[in-house]
Amino acid sequence: MAWEYSEKTKQLFMDAVHGKPGTHLGEIDNPDGFGEHGSIACGDAMRFTFRVLRHPTDPKEDVITEARYLTFGCTSAIASSEALCEMIEKGRYTPPTALKIRNRDIVEFLGGLPEQKIHCSVMGAEALEAAVFNWAQKRGVDLASLGVDLHGDEKAEGRVVCKCFSVTEPYLRRKIKELGLHTITEITNAIKAGGACGSCHHVPGGIQDVLDETWGRAETHLVREPKLDGPSAELSVESKTFTPYQFMKQVEKVVNEYVRPMLQRDGGDLEIVDIKNNLVYCSLKGACAGCKGASQTLSLMVEKTLKELVDESARVIPV
Amino acid sequence: MTRIIYADNNATTAIAPEVYEAMIPYFTREYFNPSSMYEPARPLAEAIKTARKTIAANLGGVEPSEILFTSCATESNNAAIRGVAWANANRRHILTTAVEHPAILQVCKEMERNGYEVTYLPVDGAGNLDVPGFVRALRQDTLLVTIMHANNETGVVFPIEQLARLTKETDRSIVFHTDATQTMGKLPLDLGTTLSNVDLLSFSGHKLHAPKGVGALFIRKGTPLRPFMVGGHQEGGRRAGTENVAYIVGMARAMELAAQDHDEVERQIRRQRDRLEKTIEEKIPCAQVNGRAASRLSNTLNVSCHFVEGEGMLYQLSAHGICASSGSACTSGSLEPSHVLRALKVPFTAVHGSVRFSLSRYNTDEDIDRILEVFPGIVANLRRLSPYWDQENNRPRPEALGMMQGQGEP
Repeated sequence: MAWEYSEKTKQLFMDAVHGKPGTHLGEIDNPDGFGEHGSIACGDAMRFTFRVLRHPTDPKEDVITEARYLTFGCTSAIASSEALCEMIEKGRYTPPTALKIRNRDIVEFLGGLPEQKIHCSVMGAEALEAAVFNWAQKRGVDLASLGVDLHGDEKAEGRVVCKCFSVTEPYLRRKIKELGLHTITEITNAIKAGGACGSCHHVPGGIQDVLDETWGRAETHLVREPKLDGPSAELSVESKTFTPYQFMKQVEKVVNEYVRPMLQRDGGDLEIVDIKNNLVYCSLKGACAGCKGASQTLSLMVEKTLKELVDESARVIPV
Repeated sequence: MTRIIYADNNATTAIAPEVYEAMIPYFTREYFNPSSMYEPARPLAEAIKTARKTIAANLGGVEPSEILFTSCATESNNAAIRGVAWANANRRHILTTAVEHPAILQVCKEMERNGYEVTYLPVDGAGNLDVPGFVRALRQDTLLVTIMHANNETGVVFPIEQLARLTKETDRSIVFHTDATQTMGKLPLDLGTTLSNVDLLSFSGHKLHAPKGVGALFIRKGTPLRPFMVGGHQEGGRRAGTENVAYIVGMARAMELAAQDHDEVERQIRRQRDRLEKTIEEKIPCAQVNGRAASRLSNTLNVSCHFVEGEGMLYQLSAHGICASSGSACTSGSLEPSHVLRALKVPFTAVHGSVRFSLSRYNTDEDIDRILEVFPGIVANLRRLSPYWDQENNRPRPEALGMMQGQGEP
């Protein structure tokens, strides 16, 4: 799949990786706001820091003057980080007003993102939110009193719906509404949930259920696969004298008492890998391992012994 | 414009000029339907016959009738798995591995939906199969074993000769199939002797300098198999559809070329790959070669750089005209990183940061120089942005070091 990035996205990425002056790569020491989103295990992660010009009396009037990021991620993740910082620095926002920047603003700034990359812009918005929350704590600002609902802990709390990307139910519900997501594919594109193993799609309490509950739909056209029973794999020993169990025990006994001591004298050994019907799978160990000639001679010798001492039908297969 | 350095030969290859030459007549004056009765059609039927002979000879002197032409290796794989199942109603178990190409894995998933049971054998950290584990997985109701010859992502080669022998010694009725798409033209494929226990073998033309859109399936005489495509008498009724004469001729020519100077080319490629690998490891800290401890194709290097993401590397390589690929989630179309690297339990700090360079006879020493010139800088660029990298000391941040052991899922 070739890249479908806008010129703006490509430009921001290339500027960032080449550290062009005016880009926002880095981390502010003792920042006024610090936020992280994502994890390396999920494929992208962002650390976002900002500095404010402190208002002498009213922290709510602080103005963000500098924004920096460190991002592990693909071309569009890095371009989204760059876009976020640029928008924030240009806008002279106070931290609470910076929250007006949503992921769709980042997408717009970039001149669009391929659908499956929308989650990169969501990561930027989430990291910003976390950083503003951090600023509020440091500056003693009560965000709730400003009418800001920050859902600070919902990511850590609540039932996990998508285990692969650690997406909790409260977070999922909020994002479904905020971003107007109506299908599992849209959810995956936006916040990754359900994008890996897929086991959470249609299980009870899974993504489809949360979608149905949110949008008030009745149960949709799920196709449930009947679990078919596999055919029985019981093995039957053709030997007339032994049951399968007796055959195995007898083979083990003969190998342990006659064959292995012989090999061990020469620094070798033998392991029974498996026994199926009359087939005895042996693997050579120690000095004999890897020697093709030895392997053939040996299997003949072992087979002869087993034929004599266990059953005529015994066959040895070197592994 | 930047010169293109093509290092993605496990994806597809450049068409050899000799192959192109050989195909031209069939795009121009030789346009007749090879099945037609009139005289001008005869040379086309002859051309297919000759191509079939050439390919059979290059596979260890098998019967030409054992070669079936298809449109690609994916079709060959579909035809093999489904065809074997349709011909054997009583057995319901398929044995394969976790690292197969999707052209096998997704067909197996389809088979599961239709009531078959599939065992996906795991691999170890080097990418190797556990042979005793393979033996134990063979069952009385096993219908088919389908295991790739070499892996497209890591180049790890499986011991097909041994696995096919063990299968046949267990039960001659179990059909053994191998997808040899990555080894055709690279490793000797002697279906007459060493691989005499292989029943079915898939490959395509475009991995060895023939065009896309042509492949083949070797079907050992006597292997029970229902046709996948019906609706015509072509290929002895086993694969209906008017033959793609030009491409069939091209594929045969490509196999001849591969055989001509095989050893020399293989030495050249191995030398280039080894130099690329060694220098990358010297110049880039925290880089790991995936599948290194296993027996590998000489043209493939799959390297993971911890704490950076593959797509950003590919994008920068591409800006330098270098074509390579990655197992990162962001390049896969899904959000999952490569199933192969996850099966190898590559740590999650590295699984997203893989780049695969795969070489061919047309790569030059200058290509390798150029890759080595730019690649370390590309990784450094991204590490500068990475929240896990200590830029000053050029190493992972202390808190990130512990993560480097983390494997698989978060």
